[in-house]
Amino acid sequence: MSCHGAALQEKPSNDKMKILLMGNPNVGKSVVFSKLTGVHVDSSNYAGTTVDYTVGDINFGSKQGVLIDVPGTYSLEATNEAEKVAVSLLEEGADAVICVLDATHLERNLGLAFELKEYPIPVVYCLNLMDVAERHGIKIDAEKLSEELGSPVIPTIAIKNKGLRELMEMVVKLSKEEKEPEPRLDEQERWERIQEIVSRVQTKIDKKELTFIEKLEDWTVQPWPGIPIALLVLIASLGVVVGGGKALRAVVLLPLVKQVIVPFLTKIVSLIVPAGILRNVLVGEFGILVIGIEWPFALILPYVFLFYVVFSFLEDSGYLPRIGVLADGVLRRIGIQGGNIIPMMLGYGCAVPAILGTRAASTHKERIMVASLVSFAIPCASQSGAFFALLGDRSIFALIFVYLLSILAILAVGLVLNKIIPGRSQPLLLEVPNLLLPDKDAYKKKLKLRMKHFMMDAEGAMFFGIIIAAIIAETGVLNEFSKLLGPFVEGWLGLPREASLSLLLGIIRRELAVLPLLEMNLNTLQLTVGAIVALFYLPCLSVFGVLTKEFSLKTALFIGAITIVSAFFFGGLFNQIGSLIIGVMG
Amino acid sequence: MPLAHGEKLSTYRIEKLPNSHLLKVLGFRKGTQFTIQSKQPFKGPIVVKVGNRSIAIDYDIASEILVEEVAHN
Repeated sequence: MSCHGAALQEKPSNDKMKILLMGNPNVGKSVVFSKLTGVHVDSSNYAGTTVDYTVGDINFGSKQGVLIDVPGTYSLEATNEAEKVAVSLLEEGADAVICVLDATHLERNLGLAFELKEYPIPVVYCLNLMDVAERHGIKIDAEKLSEELGSPVIPTIAIKNKGLRELMEMVVKLSKEEKEPEPRLDEQERWERIQEIVSRVQTKIDKKELTFIEKLEDWTVQPWPGIPIALLVLIASLGVVVGGGKALRAVVLLPLVKQVIVPFLTKIVSLIVPAGILRNVLVGEFGILVIGIEWPFALILPYVFLFYVVFSFLEDSGYLPRIGVLADGVLRRIGIQGGNIIPMMLGYGCAVPAILGTRAASTHKERIMVASLVSFAIPCASQSGAFFALLGDRSIFALIFVYLLSILAILAVGLVLNKIIPGRSQPLLLEVPNLLLPDKDAYKKKLKLRMKHFMMDAEGAMFFGIIIAAIIAETGVLNEFSKLLGPFVEGWLGLPREASLSLLLGIIRRELAVLPLLEMNLNTLQLTVGAIVALFYLPCLSVFGVLTKEFSLKTALFIGAITIVSAFFFGGLFNQIGSLIIGVMG
Repeated sequence: MPLAHGEKLSTYRIEKLPNSHLLKVLGFRKGTQFTIQSKQPFKGPIVVKVGNRSIAIDYDIASEILVEEVAHN
């Protein structure tokens, strides 16, 4: 594994430090990372693997350098992809390693600490979560620990910025020094040595009284009251995204776009471009500059933004794995383990990161199952935004129906896929992280990265789709196309001919299959049919791309074909049954 | 007795466990003591508390871990 991301290829010059940040999962490593780094932070994929890592710039006094947030690992035995990446990064060399230790679980953390001593890179140990340890009645003598480990140990409370200055001073000091690698201890020896050290440096007082957070930690992994709590959290999240999104749209974005930006652009274009096809394509009813601004920014962006606000908060608070634990029993019935609920939930934001997130799943079967479920039946935030716009004002029941249908489809498709895809899922075995209030800096950085990637991945494709829409709609091509698809669209789906445009555009971005319907004055049955078609319809071009990249063109085509067929089948079926019922009742 | 048959809030000591790297690095070895924090319906995972950290163990893996009861709830 010699090739790697561009950020790492710059050889560190003499005055530019390269620091690796390592540690077990859930020790507050990303908080340390966000506190030490500046504004330039980016994540990239370690080539040849499915592992992402984050790189940020650091400035400390006159020293500059890069800090690499190495994926969290329990050991360096290269038994999984994250560990392989960690080992490769160490082998490439660095000026120093910061190894974050969790003061509340010193024993387990020391395994990695010892393995790091075998590399010729100076190590500074950052003994983090000192405040939590104290609350748990644990005291650790950092000086003694430093003697035992033969390297400096700096106690920190990263979330409160405590100890980080001392940490960086030590890193700068040590980065100039040479370090002799220490001989490898065998497993048993290392284990005994760790036990010995812990008994020397750590004192523990048993305390009986549980804090509220500890009680909450306990409740959220019990079926009762954990499952009701999970439902409440999900409903509250949905409330924030839907309610907040609607408010943002109605109060700020729509007036801004419709009354200020679009009239302004229309005026300018009318001055420059003479009336005709070109002016229509630019600022007509479906004009690029009209729809191209209104749809992405006023209709979609608020929902996507609020989705990430909520999701990143839940993620950083340590709550999501608890939902995975609670859901495991049910998800195992459809052949995937509970942890996969996290990429699935991410799918309600955007399918692209969700499919990339399946990399954390250890078996191919699970990856392909989750990717299919996300493509098939989980509406992304953009699409949900379109649903809310389409159905929210007309019929809240139709809206709820579409989401129930989504959940039913997940279960049904899961059952079928579990039967036809060979292989098995990896059993769940995970550490449930402590619950905590997310750190502001780490949270902001994460949100910024996510919005940046959304803008790059989604807005571009959407704008492209809108350009095509504008050309098709304003040049008359749509009429030809409608004639061709018309009988099918009118007869089977019960939608007006112009809805063919939606079907065409849905290929580019899923929500574009819904948005044109907004302008068509449809009845509730038609709107629901439109929403059902859009729910199951082919994932957008970016999803198609990511499926091809992560799996194969064949897989992408297969998922694409199945989704289109089921979209038309179920949408039409609903229309036929619905019309029948209305006919009988009317 | 397999861990999967253990009871909530009782404390157990590991007698025998499958040779798994992840189990080892999560702190499960012969002699490790822990308390069962929760069990889930539909043969969902068993959450155990080792020290003050919770670890969720798949039902099938928990069936392969043999334990001895140290304290009953």
